[in-house]
Amino acid sequence: MKTRSAIFCLGMVAILGMFAVANPAHAQDKLIKIGGLFPMSGPGAYFGAQDKQGIELAIEQFNKTGVNGYKLEVKFEDSACSPLPATQAAKRLLEQYKPLVVVGEECSDATLAIMPVMEQAKVPLLNAGSSSIKITDPGNPWTFRIMPNEVMQGVDIATHAYKRLNARTAVLLYENTNAGIGNAKVFGDTFKSLGGQILADIGFGRDVNDFTSIATRITGLGKVDVIPTYTLEGQGLRITQALAQAGVTKGGGGQSIQLGTIWLPFGFEQKAGKASLGYVRIVQFDPTDKREVVQDFIRTFKAKYNQDPTHINAHAFDQILLIADVVRRGATDAQSVRDIMAGTKNFFGVTGSVEFDKTNQNIKMDTIHYMETLPDLSWKALGWN
Amino acid sequence: MSSRDHTELANPFDRSSVSRRWWLLGAIVTIGLLPLVFQDSYWRTNLIVCALNVMLAIGLDFILGYAGQLNLGHSAFYGIGAYVSTLVITKLGLPFWVAFLCGIVLAGAAGMALSMFAVRLRGHYLAIASLGFAVIVHQVLVNWISLTQGPLGIYGIKPPPEIALPGLPVISFGNSANMFYLVAGFALLFYVLLDQLVRSPIGETLTAIREDEVSASSLGINCPAWKVFAFGAGSAVAGAAGAFYASSVGTLVPDAFIITESFTILAMVIVGGMGTLIGPVWGAILLTVLPEVLRGFGDLRLVLYGAALTLVVLFMPGGIVQAAQIVRAQFDRLRARLEAG
Amino acid sequence: MSTVLLQQGINGVVLGSLYVLVALGLTLIYGVLVQINFAHADVVTIGAFAAYFFTFTFGGNYLASIAVALLVGAILGWLVNAAIFAPLRERGSELLPLIATIGVSVLLQNVMLLWFGPIPYAFDSPYSNQVIRLWGGTFITGQNLIIIAVSTLTIALLYAFMKFTFMGKALRAVAQDRETAGLMGINPNHLIMLTFVIASALAGMGGAMLGPILVLTPFAGTTVIVKAFAIVIIGGFGNVEGTIIAGLLVGLIESYTTQFVNPGLIDIVVFTLLLMMLAFRPTGLIAEKREENV
Repeated sequence: MKTRSAIFCLGMVAILGMFAVANPAHAQDKLIKIGGLFPMSGPGAYFGAQDKQGIELAIEQFNKTGVNGYKLEVKFEDSACSPLPATQAAKRLLEQYKPLVVVGEECSDATLAIMPVMEQAKVPLLNAGSSSIKITDPGNPWTFRIMPNEVMQGVDIATHAYKRLNARTAVLLYENTNAGIGNAKVFGDTFKSLGGQILADIGFGRDVNDFTSIATRITGLGKVDVIPTYTLEGQGLRITQALAQAGVTKGGGGQSIQLGTIWLPFGFEQKAGKASLGYVRIVQFDPTDKREVVQDFIRTFKAKYNQDPTHINAHAFDQILLIADVVRRGATDAQSVRDIMAGTKNFFGVTGSVEFDKTNQNIKMDTIHYMETLPDLSWKALGWN
Repeated sequence: MSSRDHTELANPFDRSSVSRRWWLLGAIVTIGLLPLVFQDSYWRTNLIVCALNVMLAIGLDFILGYAGQLNLGHSAFYGIGAYVSTLVITKLGLPFWVAFLCGIVLAGAAGMALSMFAVRLRGHYLAIASLGFAVIVHQVLVNWISLTQGPLGIYGIKPPPEIALPGLPVISFGNSANMFYLVAGFALLFYVLLDQLVRSPIGETLTAIREDEVSASSLGINCPAWKVFAFGAGSAVAGAAGAFYASSVGTLVPDAFIITESFTILAMVIVGGMGTLIGPVWGAILLTVLPEVLRGFGDLRLVLYGAALTLVVLFMPGGIVQAAQIVRAQFDRLRARLEAG
Repeated sequence: MSTVLLQQGINGVVLGSLYVLVALGLTLIYGVLVQINFAHADVVTIGAFAAYFFTFTFGGNYLASIAVALLVGAILGWLVNAAIFAPLRERGSELLPLIATIGVSVLLQNVMLLWFGPIPYAFDSPYSNQVIRLWGGTFITGQNLIIIAVSTLTIALLYAFMKFTFMGKALRAVAQDRETAGLMGINPNHLIMLTFVIASALAGMGGAMLGPILVLTPFAGTTVIVKAFAIVIIGGFGNVEGTIIAGLLVGLIESYTTQFVNPGLIDIVVFTLLLMMLAFRPTGLIAEKREENV
């Protein structure tokens, strides 16, 4: 009986301990509470892990001095890159942590599901990683996006492909997700309206293992000028290698140029090797950018994590940078964060500058950097924007 | 399936029909009180998800625990219910309750079709066939973009229409408490229906087939027909859960119905106690609430989930029901000892 | 066009031989135990990670890493059998071990996620980007050539083992009739353990060869295993020859579906074939005397 009551006591202590951990005492009076909704489990955890790094670095830096007398604090919830868990995580965050502003999600499905919850609670949501047009069109007054949406990116890259690369034929490669289908469609529509021709439209699931068959199919399509590719790093790597092996792209002695958007991280070329030669892609974050804010970010990131920052790290960092800027401009509660954020002008972050239009979409195109991969796998900035 | 899977467990919650009525009353009162205890919308959503999972779990248990059919594709029927009910509203413009019925009927029909098709198959063959069926349904939802919007998703699905009864305030299902009452009410209704079914001669017939199909046939039981019936009934309940999923979450994407969802439902049935109806109810509640409570642990919670499933199978295959029995036996022994001495 | 068609044939055979390696393990276990092992997928993934760490962290030779993965797979097979299947065998249930291995699979995937993280590993073997030109404009990469060669060799060895050694004959005897095996004086527990070790060694080895082809994350194996299940059924559960033919067939279906339709539809085609097989020829491509499950 003694042991049993001992176990019982231990159990109670453990439960109390859990509550203590879950509710850290708030010693700081003036605190800006930021909620973070990112995928921390499942296949999308790929994003969450990197978002967390960027956000924690930014918060650490701001809290050395404070912003307008405020300290920043963040609490993360796992929104799992999927609608139901994301709304659950959002509600939990809003009710238990009561943040003034929330940053996240990466996946468009999850962001779209969170938006009405945030609107109802009247807490602003700042998004950096979802590209679906529906997030800001029609959008809602409480959701902001600092990344160029799929239409902005797609129209821009298709126009450059037609005019600057003189591309007339294209093959669309994309993963069968909200973002993949949306991006490919915008590219296709723009390219066709300019007079280009889409030779094949190939969507694939995230579980496809073998891209040699897709590359082989492209070899049979005749002259293909550009291959816009919308996929994450893992499959992207295999696609680029397969296209080179089949002799389609420049990296394999062919003529086609692979085009990409901001999905791929920095360091992709090193992983893909010489197969990535000639790849032209949009990067959201240009580590060769000489601006002080960029070089500072790279230095401090390396010092803290002992690795090079990715574009996900960078846009997560920028989200906090923008929030700190809004606080500096006088925001103290959710409503004022929203109002002051909407009036943002001349904000310069690591990924570029920010100015919101009526739908709270960032209209600055300098967040789009075009890069071409050179034979030594380094980037040549194309300066198209 | 061999009889050893189903060492008949006396249900510790099961007494006479009089006390069953008390249980029912208790359940109704609990359902009525829950949204009053949990006021915030986060926990109220959890309550709704609990009720949805209870429906899924009892539906699967009817197929698996009573009719002995190894169904690994329950997520497919859930998805069919969700998509059919939504598309009937958006594409055909029919009212919610008609769409709801369509969702149930089509999910049930799909279940019957799969079962009819696989009626000659047993055990593992049916398991893989149902798994394959779930893969096909998911892929059709992904690829048939002109109908389902595919991965682009369907957003802004409305809750069921308001009910305006004369002399009463309008009941709006935009309110999470009312939505919970609706879903939980149906979960309870399905529970009672299935409970009546398994206690009726039909239940005995199904058990006879599960235990020994050959002898059941020799007694003149039409085994294939009954198996098809059980499969259809269980998947129809999943279809109802799907319709409520769509109207309470408001967003539909195909990935909500991937095959791992089937495994989650299966875990609820097993952890609760297969072959009893009350077990899966507790399993569903436990495995819905526990991950939410363990949210702070991130990936660790799925590790625990996997470990729990394995350990339950290895050490307590009767699940919560078996655990409750052991506790009660201990308690009775203690009481007997106290009374004796 | 004929070059493209021929090339797709080669692509299909490469993919098919990988599927065969994974599916053979499942079919061997089924043949002897009449059980499905869901954790087989994770043995593939762990094999791939073992090969990755052996090559990149410890600077080992890639070909040697295939052997390492084989060993790791064998150990895992022994563990899964000892921890899950052996204790549950006494209960004689058909369903419980299947569910337990689903639990083990969820457990292993998420432990790997904690350890290895969700970011895909770039696992290239020295042969990955080596292009070998073949007749008529077709080609094969060095890695794919290794895959075909190793698979063929392994299958031949396995075949010889089953046909010509005492243990192999005993395995087949158990697969066909347990009582007879008992009469032959063979301890069925030893045979079952042996089967698990061989099957999982094949899976681990398959992982080492898949690693440089697929996207290496903790979920890598699951993308293969669902197809492996389909292959096992199409080939007829427990039927080695059927599994080999079905594996190659699924590989070819995959490459030609990509060519003529769309890669998004591969799963629909493969699983519709599976359901058709179950409806019209549930014994698999090659009929065997195994009627009790049908």
